[in-house]
Amino acid sequence: MKKYEYISPRDYIGDILIKEAEKNNKIVVIDSDLASSVTTHKFQKKFPERFFEMGIAEQNSLGVTAGLATEGFVPFYVNFAIFGTGTVWTQLRQSCYANLNIKIIGTHSGMDNGSDGASHHALEDIALTRVLPNLKVFNPLDLEDLKGAIKRAVEIKGPIYIRVARDVVPVIHEKEIDFNEGNSEMLFNEGNDYLLIFEGTAAKQAIEGFELLKEKGYKNKLLNIRSIKPVDKKVVLKEAEGMKGILTIENHTINGGLGGLISEIVGESVVRIPLRRIGVQDKFTESGKTEVVKEKYGLSGKSIVEIIETF
Amino acid sequence: MKYDLEFLKKKSEKYRKIIIEMVYKAKAGHPGGSLSCIDILNYLYNYKIDFNKENRSRLILSKGHVTPALYAVFLDLGFIFQEETGTFRTLNSRLQGHPDRNKIPEIDANTGLLGQGLSIGVGMALGKKLKKDDSRVYVVIGDGEMQEGQIWEALMSGSHYKLDNLTVFLDYNKLSSKSNVNEIMNLEPVKSKVEAFGWEVLEIDGHNFEEIGKALEYSEKSKKTPVFIIAHTVKGKGVSFMENNPKWHSSAISDEEYSIAIQDIERGI
Repeated sequence: MKKYEYISPRDYIGDILIKEAEKNNKIVVIDSDLASSVTTHKFQKKFPERFFEMGIAEQNSLGVTAGLATEGFVPFYVNFAIFGTGTVWTQLRQSCYANLNIKIIGTHSGMDNGSDGASHHALEDIALTRVLPNLKVFNPLDLEDLKGAIKRAVEIKGPIYIRVARDVVPVIHEKEIDFNEGNSEMLFNEGNDYLLIFEGTAAKQAIEGFELLKEKGYKNKLLNIRSIKPVDKKVVLKEAEGMKGILTIENHTINGGLGGLISEIVGESVVRIPLRRIGVQDKFTESGKTEVVKEKYGLSGKSIVEIIETF
Repeated sequence: MKYDLEFLKKKSEKYRKIIIEMVYKAKAGHPGGSLSCIDILNYLYNYKIDFNKENRSRLILSKGHVTPALYAVFLDLGFIFQEETGTFRTLNSRLQGHPDRNKIPEIDANTGLLGQGLSIGVGMALGKKLKKDDSRVYVVIGDGEMQEGQIWEALMSGSHYKLDNLTVFLDYNKLSSKSNVNEIMNLEPVKSKVEAFGWEVLEIDGHNFEEIGKALEYSEKSKKTPVFIIAHTVKGKGVSFMENNPKWHSSAISDEEYSIAIQDIERGI
């Protein structure tokens, strides 16, 4: 199996925001007492006057983010994915309704907060965000993907949610990415067996599954959906054509997330192709080391192989 | 502070009539709370918000259901047109049931989900300080709305950041949709609670322009603390059968009621 370098994209959020803030003095950061966990403490150190600590009061934090956007700032609210979407969902919805220029970064997506357990596992944030009009949802993979996503978020005027892995992901990109909303990326294209579609925070398991299948002689494609909303429908449908099936892979519940999204795209098209979804199967998870929690709840290279072999 | 009492009185009379007419025509809406906060909105929009200034003061109507009051002032200021007033709460209208800044850009925040407006005001006040923009942020909240936990989060942050450019009006009409606010969930003692959160608190008659003006003057001079004005008001103020009657939180108005209401307002009960 190919050897990758592994990183946690979460570790770079503060540094990336500092770089963007050096170019754009309207960028500010809002925190709910988790700055060191989401690495925005680095931003706080560099730009103390542009960093607003709001304490453990997420709903107020999101409202403050909305107010700063109204005054012409480009505010980034960075928090764990469960708090940055679920705890503040109606506040976020009102900001999207007003089409405010707010940016939310959610870390510790899916089961990435392993040992904290089900309460902290953000298995619904894609579902919660992709239903909101005006909101764009990005799901970058590694460091360069994340840099591209944040850079693009600053350029776009409007609300954006960026979902970031806390767990390690393989380093795929070595150069700056031209990250655009609605773009996907075909990582590997080896033939016409199965189309594997994944979101960035499940990259490690998706690539492991792809490689294991390759060793078994499968000739598959591996597609990175880096922009959940808008999503690259055209490429999904084009690449699905002539394949034996589609498998979606996500660090999220299979309901309403990437699997749900791809099902909707395929279901509304003329393409007739079987589809299976890898992710958490409508269950609450439990505490444990992130990797073993993921494996137990169905997200692993091994489970990808099993599903493909019984497709 | 310079203000013209007769001017304000005439404006409020006009606004009250527009409120009644809009709810009457739409056969829906919230007249009670609109009438209780209209004198405060009147003062703020006519004397405190200068829409010609780029860095202007802002007004967040956190109790967003009282759009009839907002639209009455906006009609007068020329932001909406006479022919639109009959479209309130109907399809294709800019006059949504709750404020929508995409339809009317002079609206400073989309509100309606209670408890959220003060947080947006805190964000604006922080932003104005960072920009060194010396204009102010005014937020009008309802008493029932104070039952929302987010209000208290926002109160905490307002004093923590010493937002002396932020003024809150509590439209304390003591009634929510069903009955007495304090029977539903007791807010009292509001004054000492808000003071304990680090704010300066004033108590005024929310229908007395002189008291509104003085409270605003005080809040502008306040240093290092935001100001919370408990404005004692009457729900349905100015219309005999609506005053202090929770039925008029949200209700359609009959032909007969419409005539009585307009007469009451003209007589200045």
